[in-house]
Amino acid sequence: MNEKWRLLLTGASTAATNMSIDRAVLVANSEGLVPPTVRFYEWKPPAISIGYFQGLEEEVDLVNCKKLDVDYVRRITGGGAVFHEHELTYSIVISESHPEIPKNIMDSYGRICGAIIKGLKNLNIESQYKPINDILTNGKKISGNAQTRKMKTVLQHGTVLMDVDVEKMFSILKVPNEKIKDKLIADVKDRVTSIKHVINEEISFAKVAESMKNGFEEEFNVELELGVLTDTERDLTKKFEKEYFSNKNWNNKR
Amino acid sequence: MQSNSIYKVPNGKLLKIFLDYNGKNKRINTVRITGDFFAYPEEAIEIIENNLKKMILEKNLLFSKISSVIKENNIEFIGLNAEGLTKGILMCLK
Repeated sequence: MNEKWRLLLTGASTAATNMSIDRAVLVANSEGLVPPTVRFYEWKPPAISIGYFQGLEEEVDLVNCKKLDVDYVRRITGGGAVFHEHELTYSIVISESHPEIPKNIMDSYGRICGAIIKGLKNLNIESQYKPINDILTNGKKISGNAQTRKMKTVLQHGTVLMDVDVEKMFSILKVPNEKIKDKLIADVKDRVTSIKHVINEEISFAKVAESMKNGFEEEFNVELELGVLTDTERDLTKKFEKEYFSNKNWNNKR
Repeated sequence: MQSNSIYKVPNGKLLKIFLDYNGKNKRINTVRITGDFFAYPEEAIEIIENNLKKMILEKNLLFSKISSVIKENNIEFIGLNAEGLTKGILMCLK
């Protein structure tokens, strides 16, 4: 019989809540309180997340964020700034010592991205893992991923782009040189794609989530059972929101 | 003196360095290392920043200091390395 992992469908939340839930699940799993967990979620309002090592003010136009009602948050994972609007975001939390997880970080990126690639294939989209942390389809990025390891536990989260609004993204992201902004927008349009662009139709979040669920089950040979956050995880989520992800000291750390 | 640099590490990520240094003796006051790279553990960058205070801005000295801090603290970088970090810091001088 296949090993059972937990599936969480937590709907749409604020940036701070989303990042707090991922961290809460990481802590709960590291203490052996919950099984390996895959979560699919969305962002409401739309949000920009920056990598742990990025400078907030260097990357994000905070004035425009406020104007456009876009949330912002610093992740606990490294990587770059991401504008989360029309996408499915996934996270997986699993022990570093789980036999399905390669010890080598780069290998484990490839393995977890394998689940997303299988999920995309279920939508008739062919894609490949492109190190360090991207998934490409027809040479264009359709998914970005970021991993951290804490308390002997792996957290990887990432995006699967369902649609993309590059102009809006660039109104919130700061660019080093305003003079070349138009060229940057054109470059990103050339380099980034989405499910909608590839298959030429609108597709529901639920359908993408179902395909990704199957992708994880196929890649890891497990069964994902729908579950909910435990009381401990809910308490931790509230605590982490306050201490980190909605806290200025955290978000403005760099 | 304050300066900054943006450096794309070959086959790696985009590094943005903010440097405050003494223009006379070319020693670092503070350095802030930011970018879209990955580092394990997360404290890695703060450890490196703290270890670089008062260091002379000279290629070989910086490189060997950064390399030894990486080794001592079992730091693992993805998209960044000691060479890139050294180069990014020294680019602030130009």
